[in-house]
Amino acid sequence: MTGRRRITFVFLTAALIALAFLNLFAGSVKLAPADALQALFSRGDSAVAEGIIRNIRLPRLLAAALLGGALSVAGFLLQIYFNNPIAGPFVLGISSGAKLLVALSMILCLSRGIALHASGMIAAAFCGAMLSMGVVLLASRVLRGRGMLIVCGVMIGYICSAVTEIAVTFADDANIVNLHSWSQGSFSGIGWQEIGTAADVICAALAGTVLLAKPMDAYRLGEAYAQSMGVRIQHFRAGLIVLSSILAACVTAFAGPVSFVGIAVPQLMKALLKSTKPALMLPACFLGGGVFCLFCDLLARLLFAPTELSISTVTAVFGAPVVIWTLVKRRRE
Amino acid sequence: MLHTENLAVGYGERAVLREVSLHVRPGEILCLIGPNGAGKSTLLKTLMRELPSLSGSVRLAGRMLQEIPQREFAKSCAAVFTGIPRTELMTCGELVAMGRYPYTGRLGILSDEDRRIVRESMERTETEELAGRDFACISDGQRQRVLLCRAICQEPKLLLMDEPTGFLDLRNKLKFMQLLRKLAAEKKIAVVMSLHELDLVRSFADSVVCVHDGRADLSDSPEELLSGESIRRLFGIEEELYRLWKRGAAPEAQAEGENPSLSSGTPRDKIQSAV
Repeated sequence: MTGRRRITFVFLTAALIALAFLNLFAGSVKLAPADALQALFSRGDSAVAEGIIRNIRLPRLLAAALLGGALSVAGFLLQIYFNNPIAGPFVLGISSGAKLLVALSMILCLSRGIALHASGMIAAAFCGAMLSMGVVLLASRVLRGRGMLIVCGVMIGYICSAVTEIAVTFADDANIVNLHSWSQGSFSGIGWQEIGTAADVICAALAGTVLLAKPMDAYRLGEAYAQSMGVRIQHFRAGLIVLSSILAACVTAFAGPVSFVGIAVPQLMKALLKSTKPALMLPACFLGGGVFCLFCDLLARLLFAPTELSISTVTAVFGAPVVIWTLVKRRRE
Repeated sequence: MLHTENLAVGYGERAVLREVSLHVRPGEILCLIGPNGAGKSTLLKTLMRELPSLSGSVRLAGRMLQEIPQREFAKSCAAVFTGIPRTELMTCGELVAMGRYPYTGRLGILSDEDRRIVRESMERTETEELAGRDFACISDGQRQRVLLCRAICQEPKLLLMDEPTGFLDLRNKLKFMQLLRKLAAEKKIAVVMSLHELDLVRSFADSVVCVHDGRADLSDSPEELLSGESIRRLFGIEEELYRLWKRGAAPEAQAEGENPSLSSGTPRDKIQSAV
């Protein structure tokens, strides 16, 4: 491992830890770092501080790190599949498809007075993600050119979002307020139970991704070479689709659609590592996604505290310029 | 090493070539020549198992081609495709090491043995100093050597190449073919390649197969084939164009005011004098 790569990983790990602590200390309720740490590690004097740290800030920062990492890995897989540097779960409409099905199943369950379990939400999100993905895949057979595919994905995203908004507007329930903030994208309101379920699913999907790292490496030379080296192309491509959908679905089920993380983080990691080797890119994307989302969530909470911004607002501000930069750089080459 | 009997190749139902019978021994180079679109690439793709054969049989080291499991096939047959793969931020060292794909485990981690083979192959192909360079940022001649090196790392018994010298300059063409000749002989690799440069075919091929009009025929006497009228027929070159070409091949003769003759100043002599 060259110096550059080592520095990248050290930097990412340090940033992740630093941001985690910042997220723990900062917030609309002022807590001194010492009090916050006391509330975290021991039975503190203040039940309020304990509640804020243990039940609000800690799960929220874990969710941001975990889901952010999963989202950028999903983006990286999609970029490999479509051989397109600006492919990602959000622009291809996959997040929105997942959002639609989660919203529909939540409204259905709420109207019958059943609470939807976390795993049920992931399952609904996965179905939605696969539906959107199916449409995108069909379109990719017909459409020529990378740009057209993205436009198609964005349109699917708009349709799904519109239907979701309609459903949310007409569903009458007190929980709709919650649903509304979720459908804009937010890491708030994710409890320990959800994090547990999400962690299980994401870990399983990441394990599958690690097993795909070898064919991904060969696939960098193109399909023909990969096949001649023994990659089973059909299996490999199906694997990419399923794993990226699971990861994106899991994120959407709990945090709603989060924009640009899936595109921007892999591009930034590529630029940091100066390499596209999957064995390096996968861990870097996971760490980088966590760092990016912790940073954005911190801003979302603090900038206009006590009012919160939706997470997508902040990720778009930092993510969209990266996409433009990627496109300009490509053009110059 | 490679034997085909009555092989028919093509896309879907339509056969592009029929009754193809190729025989290549270890260490031999077989060149496919013929006009564009005659079916050279189709034949190569079939041998690479990219396309299924329509009928007939292909045997690789005595086994039917379609019965060899994929991983094992990748261990016995390597390919260099036409054109240069577009890569992003990939070093030549990484690219060459990919040749070990069929030999590494699930996670693709190179063993010491794998590393030794990669190093040795890079020495053989004079690409060691390129190991840390980005594949997208080196010259075409270097890239083609790196691609050959990757194929050698796969330790194939059969090496298939589709127009590997197409975009190289004369020196790099000769260098590439010389390297290939040496590696094929040393490592006992059977090579099947398509080539457009007839001079190279004459200098480096052990056998020549003419691909034209739905057939692939082994040429009995490559020397005769490549210097004479049969080339004109193979490529369907018009009388006038052919004379033009032959005149171009012997400009000195013309400069001295002599009649352009077919016997003097063949391209091969010119190449040798140029080198």
